[in-house]
Amino acid sequence: MDIKYANPFIESFTTIMPQLGYSQIESGNVSEKEQELVHTGVNIIVGIVGGAKGNVVYSMSLETAKKIASTMMMGMPVEELDEMSKSALSELANMLTAGAATAFYNMGIKVDISTPTLLHGENISIKMSSNQVLCVQLLADDIAIETNVAFE
Amino acid sequence: MRIVIVDDSSFSIAFIREILEKNGFDVVGEAGTLEEVKAVVKEKKPNLVTMDMTLPGTDGLECTRAIHDIDKNIKVVVVSSMMDDEIVKKAKKNKVSAYIQKPVDADELVTVINRVMASDELYHFLDENYFIVFKEALMDSFNKMTKTIPAYKQEYCSNNEFESDGITIIIGISGKFSGRMLLDLSKETAKQLTAAIFRREPKNDDEMMAVLGEFANIVSGNACSMLNKKNKALGLRVAPPSILHGDSVLISAPGLNTTAAIAETGFGELLLNVGFQRGEEKWI
Repeated sequence: MDIKYANPFIESFTTIMPQLGYSQIESGNVSEKEQELVHTGVNIIVGIVGGAKGNVVYSMSLETAKKIASTMMMGMPVEELDEMSKSALSELANMLTAGAATAFYNMGIKVDISTPTLLHGENISIKMSSNQVLCVQLLADDIAIETNVAFE
Repeated sequence: MRIVIVDDSSFSIAFIREILEKNGFDVVGEAGTLEEVKAVVKEKKPNLVTMDMTLPGTDGLECTRAIHDIDKNIKVVVVSSMMDDEIVKKAKKNKVSAYIQKPVDADELVTVINRVMASDELYHFLDENYFIVFKEALMDSFNKMTKTIPAYKQEYCSNNEFESDGITIIIGISGKFSGRMLLDLSKETAKQLTAAIFRREPKNDDEMMAVLGEFANIVSGNACSMLNKKNKALGLRVAPPSILHGDSVLISAPGLNTTAAIAETGFGELLLNVGFQRGEEKWI
């Protein structure tokens, strides 16, 4: 899959995370995965339709998820992933994907996004619609979010 | 349609009233202060309020919040002489449906009000129809692909986290409103369902996942087509399926009101779970 499909997600992450109070934003290499993704922790899936059709899955560890939720809730301590934290994380996935949609638009590709679905547990295998999945490690200060993108 | 006009200028009120009444809207009240706004909204129960931004002792945003505290379904259209990016952004944050600038252009006001109300009606239409249509599409797909018809045994609103039975298939949906469909079933049910569709045992998990993905794609695609046929303004489209399985996977969709039903199929139970979001109004 063309690596250019990962760029809108990197751009969006770089724009949005500082707005949430993160200062050091880094993006790792874009790698291509062919096998099923397996992940323990929190996954948030958002569907994409329009000029490009696919899905994005944001994966992070449970600890990272709690840290992000806490930051998004003005530093409120988050001991466990409660309703409010999950809501904050879904909102983040929504913001990041909407930001990517804007970046796609600037590339001349008009897309719309679905509502996010959040799944957490152990050893979650994710089979995305395309066998080729672009995977980007995105870092904001001490948190890491793996962004997996698959387009048809 | 019942409208309340909020403005501190009697000239503006008379001007807006004249436009609205000429175009068949029912102006049921007016207000110029926060207290008056609260009182008139409680008493007259309007569908829509036109809102000035600068008001004595308050502002349009505070009044908008007060209106939505009374009834969040009431639409607010700001009609103000002030309009800049900053204030429009604030208005959006406060759930204002549209923003127009004074001097009021009659055509613009009428168009904006009609559009705001049409979007509301369209959502109600979707809300009332989507689950019936998705259930029908699922039954139809079972019938065509497995020659069996499932029976629905339970239907409920589902806003809480639930645990997966084994395999979850998620299809994102977007269009005028966004949402998603989710199917959840045990591995055993998945195997049997795949075997029935394939008319042989699936060779491996990959093959089974591919069949489940395609099955979910057909169900959601057919359902969205049926909804689009009923009202083409919906313009619903489906994203490709994602299939997940793991150990004790918990699933939620925070902030999304979904409807769920358990289908008793010849192969075991299958959960159908669908929801759409009201979403933000599209601004002019």
